[in-house]
Amino acid sequence: MTTILPECDIPIPQRQPHIVCHEPGNMILPMCNIQTVPGDMTERGCTFAGCRGVVGGPVKDVIQLIHGPIGCAYYTWGTRRNLSDVKLHRKYCFSTDLTEESVIYGGAKKLYNSIIDSHELFPEGKAVFVYSTCVVGLIGDDTEAICKQAQEKIGIPVIPFHCEGFRGVSQSLGHHIANRTLFEKVVGTEEPETTTPYDMCIIGEFNIDGDAWIVKPLFERMGVRVLSVFTGNASYHDIPPMHRAKLNIVQCQRSSTYIAKMIQDKYNIPYINVSLFGMKQTADALRDVGKFFHLEENAEKVVAEELAKYQPKIDYHKKRLEGKKCFIYQGAPRAWHWIEPMRELGIETILTATTFGHKDDYEKIMSKVGQGHICIDNPNALEIEEYLIRMKPDFFIGGLKEKYLTYKLGIPFINGHSYEEGPYAGFEGFVNFARDIDVAVNSPVWKFINRPLEVS
Amino acid sequence: MARSVAINPPKMCQPMGAILAYMGVHGCVPLVHGSQGCSTYPRYNIARHFRESAEVAVSSLAEDAAVYGGAKNLTEAIKNVKSRINPAIIGICTTCMSETIGDDVRLISKNALAPGDAVKIIPASTPSYVGTHLTGYDNAMKALVETLAVKDKPNYKINIITGIINPGDIREIKKILRIMNVKSIFLSDISETLDSPILPGVHKPLLPDGGTEASEIADSANSLGTISICRTASSAATYLRNKFNVPTVLDPAPIGVANTDRFVQNISSLSGAVIPDEIKKERGRLIDSMVDVHHYMFGRKVAIFGDPDLVSAIVRFCAEAGMDPTVAMTATKHKDFAPDIKEVNAEYKTDTQILEGTDLYEFHEAVKTYGAELILGNSKGKDLADDEGVPLVRFGFPVYDRVGVYRYPILGYNGSIYLLDQMTNAILGHKYDPNKLHQ
Repeated sequence: MTTILPECDIPIPQRQPHIVCHEPGNMILPMCNIQTVPGDMTERGCTFAGCRGVVGGPVKDVIQLIHGPIGCAYYTWGTRRNLSDVKLHRKYCFSTDLTEESVIYGGAKKLYNSIIDSHELFPEGKAVFVYSTCVVGLIGDDTEAICKQAQEKIGIPVIPFHCEGFRGVSQSLGHHIANRTLFEKVVGTEEPETTTPYDMCIIGEFNIDGDAWIVKPLFERMGVRVLSVFTGNASYHDIPPMHRAKLNIVQCQRSSTYIAKMIQDKYNIPYINVSLFGMKQTADALRDVGKFFHLEENAEKVVAEELAKYQPKIDYHKKRLEGKKCFIYQGAPRAWHWIEPMRELGIETILTATTFGHKDDYEKIMSKVGQGHICIDNPNALEIEEYLIRMKPDFFIGGLKEKYLTYKLGIPFINGHSYEEGPYAGFEGFVNFARDIDVAVNSPVWKFINRPLEVS
Repeated sequence: MARSVAINPPKMCQPMGAILAYMGVHGCVPLVHGSQGCSTYPRYNIARHFRESAEVAVSSLAEDAAVYGGAKNLTEAIKNVKSRINPAIIGICTTCMSETIGDDVRLISKNALAPGDAVKIIPASTPSYVGTHLTGYDNAMKALVETLAVKDKPNYKINIITGIINPGDIREIKKILRIMNVKSIFLSDISETLDSPILPGVHKPLLPDGGTEASEIADSANSLGTISICRTASSAATYLRNKFNVPTVLDPAPIGVANTDRFVQNISSLSGAVIPDEIKKERGRLIDSMVDVHHYMFGRKVAIFGDPDLVSAIVRFCAEAGMDPTVAMTATKHKDFAPDIKEVNAEYKTDTQILEGTDLYEFHEAVKTYGAELILGNSKGKDLADDEGVPLVRFGFPVYDRVGVYRYPILGYNGSIYLLDQMTNAILGHKYDPNKLHQ
């Protein structure tokens, strides 16, 4: 057990407890979920990003209205690859576009009128989600009252999210705010048309590059009815009846365990944690759900069909990737979701890092890795660069902001946030994932990185 | 626009533009004084447009700053950036948060430095609730010049304020100056910092090669004149004129024949350089390319959106090529936008509709009313172009759904050829009878 102070952090020794070298039997966890060191070149985003971008944003048929100056609305316009079969949520950017006048006199009127305007122009919107940005919290607009008033006027739900960017220490609080808001204001407000003994919600699945379209049918083939997916490709009306599920499964256990717990506490509906990535973990998830609903045979049948179809493809990529070493840096859960799938491809994860992991995320990481594994909490640009150079992983799974730094170092890269050519979830998705890693690692372009121009 | 809500507004906030201005300065670390999203979001946009890493520091303001002010965070951020990266310059931009809580950035940053610290701090005020990304660029550039420019002996150079244009554009302008044998100072220069090569044995450092040196910005007070390619970025030019008597040239962006002619003439008259044959040949090739395609392009309806300097210059170029610019739209208001286009309308008997300070929802409505066979704009135009079933030729910022757009110029005679070829090929590639393309 050791914490490490990398060379780039000598002037900011407070970073040391965040960087841990793992020693089985003598485990310590990186310090986490605290304020970033100002000016450390963090990769973190804000609470607004977690609320609007991650949890609220995928709801496909609502007007996603950002209350604040223009930037926050623009930057989240169609950015995250949370796909759907309706285009309202990604095609359009709605903003109150606050200017100096509103900052001085308040933005209440602008917000009210913006809700009315949006509804008039887009009556197909099933609800309006109103997200507050930093300045709204500072000037003190009473968005609760305005949204209530607007809701009475337009007759569809208008839901305020108090997700000002400066709240909390990272995106993570935004996830919590979105969960709590949707639970308190939406869940339980409508009953499902019918119920069955096999109703289940998939929670924390945001349909990144079509993940939900892969995993949902797996459960349906087992005879489970997926009541709703929270919130990938979700309609607004998928959320209210969540309280009638018999079971919830939680995929993204950082952003969405909150709502699963709240539903459990209030409605006595159990939840189980799943990892719908990789062959074994996905099979385990199907089996766990099968066991709950007494559909074990159906689960085995689906697993057998999927393995027959996709395992040979995984075996093919495994031969080409065996022995490689990787660095996984994700928001939080995918850092531990992917350690076991990498092993299935013969790849060892030598480094992990998360942007906003909590204690439970790091416990999960440490339970899956071996001696000498390095784990970094809230890494900054300099640390990432130093560790890429020092540890020389064969490839790096990160996000767009780190992508081009990695390329310049001549290290293959996979975008784990939005994916390269996903979906990556489920059995079929894991083939895509393996193929993208294969493409990245085995491309001939890397041969040229250090090849000089020969002068004769 | 009678609406309260903005729907698909193609404009960003001030810190975005300020960061781009700072990224063109050698050894400069941009530092955003605000919440963490205020650095992350612009970084994301820069990375996906230029396909380059874009490192930005942030003071990570949180609840305590909302109550007690952000001085503690900013002081610590400056200290940390200085000690870990040792930059020549820290370019600070404020945000809606730090401006609303009322931090005195100038004072805080002055107090954050120890005696003898070499690093220069640029305190730009860039509240997100005023103006757009272009305002932020302008404010940061002005702050750079105000902080650094010093009167010295004449340098016989021309200052070029680029505004938000691409590395390919900057290289094209540099080439023109090189051919004309005119020395210059670029305010600022992202042509290498945001378009860097992979070289054997080295990797792009956190403070990349290229960019304008602080000493060059200091020397901008001693130049023959300042040409602002984008008039939205002219505050630094105005400052240099008022403070140091450096003449200012504020003309349309050099796109098309007339605008590029004016640009080249301006360089010539400021510097006394003759216009060499090589430039005249480039101009001739542009005219040759326009002649080659005029049957394809005559009367073609084109709708254009983007930043005002580029849009109004492209409107003129489209008219020169015989096209019919039906709608010109910009989200950033600027006093020259409408007059520029009205002048084109008068000269070419066109009837371009002018939309200013509005959004793509309104632009789309205008496209439906006035027609377009081609849309020019950034990646945000993709959906509406698809809805109208017409091609989108991408220019401006950000373009993230095509590669390489940042590498190629649309400025100068040569860049105009590239833009015209793009437009023509888009027309020819879209529902054009292939039988007519064999000779």
